[in-house]
Amino acid sequence: MNPKNVNCPMQSGNAEILLSYCARSLEPEQVAQIELHLSACAECRAWATEQKTVWAAMDAWEAEPVSADFDAALFARIAAAEKPSAWERWSAPWREILRGGMGWRPVLSAGVVALTLVIALSIENPFRREPVGQTVKLEAQEIEQAERALEDLEMLRQLEPPEEETSL
Amino acid sequence: MMAVATIEHDAELMLRVREGDSQSFALLLAKHRSPVIHFLYRMIQNQAVAEELAQEVFLRVYKSRASYEPTAKFTTWLFRIASHVALNHIRDGKYERNQESLDQESDEGMSRQVASDALTVEQMMVREAKFGEIRRAIQLLPAKQRAAVLMHKYQEMEYAQIAAALECSESAVKSLLFRAYETLRAKLAHMAGHS
Repeated sequence: MNPKNVNCPMQSGNAEILLSYCARSLEPEQVAQIELHLSACAECRAWATEQKTVWAAMDAWEAEPVSADFDAALFARIAAAEKPSAWERWSAPWREILRGGMGWRPVLSAGVVALTLVIALSIENPFRREPVGQTVKLEAQEIEQAERALEDLEMLRQLEPPEEETSL
Repeated sequence: MMAVATIEHDAELMLRVREGDSQSFALLLAKHRSPVIHFLYRMIQNQAVAEELAQEVFLRVYKSRASYEPTAKFTTWLFRIASHVALNHIRDGKYERNQESLDQESDEGMSRQVASDALTVEQMMVREAKFGEIRRAIQLLPAKQRAAVLMHKYQEMEYAQIAAALECSESAVKSLLFRAYETLRAKLAHMAGHS
């Protein structure tokens, strides 16, 4: 059988096996099979040669050494991230109560009652209109005083002698 | 068999971290610190930014300890986080802003690397040129192709692992790798015999 025609990776759309061959991640039997094919297939041979070149070139790219203070900086970030926020500190006892042995139903009921009272008081306030009520009261008092003054004047007028008689 | 034992050990360490054992976290960090930073460095091509992003990765690992379940290999989970962090960084446009400083920094890094070997000036120049060409060829790959190639080449991850890390199918990974290597072959194949 002609090795050129046997399972040509390029022809059968299985180029990944060539990629694995160049990455040296194939089993020995597969390597032998591919090398047999490469000896007869110029197209696959050229592909594999180019790929090996790329692979070798990439090997030359070494990474830089890691900074000596990397771990210290990381642990500092972790410590900062793990530190509870102000809200978490404030709400911790409440969360504990809700989670704890007391049971959450009585606490929740008390909370609902307290919240209802707060809402009721805040709703009450706008309708009380304290200053407006006071103004109305003052206006009523002024009218009453004016009426009394008029009544007093009327009474004085009645007590005074008629003008004609005085002049005579 | 060896690999299975390693996977189980990493997952076991992470489960201990979940139980509050910070010593196990230090062991995981010691083992995976360099691979994660090197992956991010090759993705972003800026050492300072790579280390900053690596800290973000390990911080996320630590914060996720309570919900950790060993359903996949630890390295797959770790590189899924690392890929997310790197791809988000690139997507947010921070990557482009770093490019100006990158060239200068990478050249410095390259010089440091080359200077360590006993080479003639000419050899050093050839190596620097080659190194710069490889770096630029990889830099020009689309971000997801770049991530797939780096995990395949430098982390020696299998297709299934890369697929899990990039949250795509295995066939999508094969396609990403094939296109990426095609681009790299077109740009770097002339280097045959230079090394």
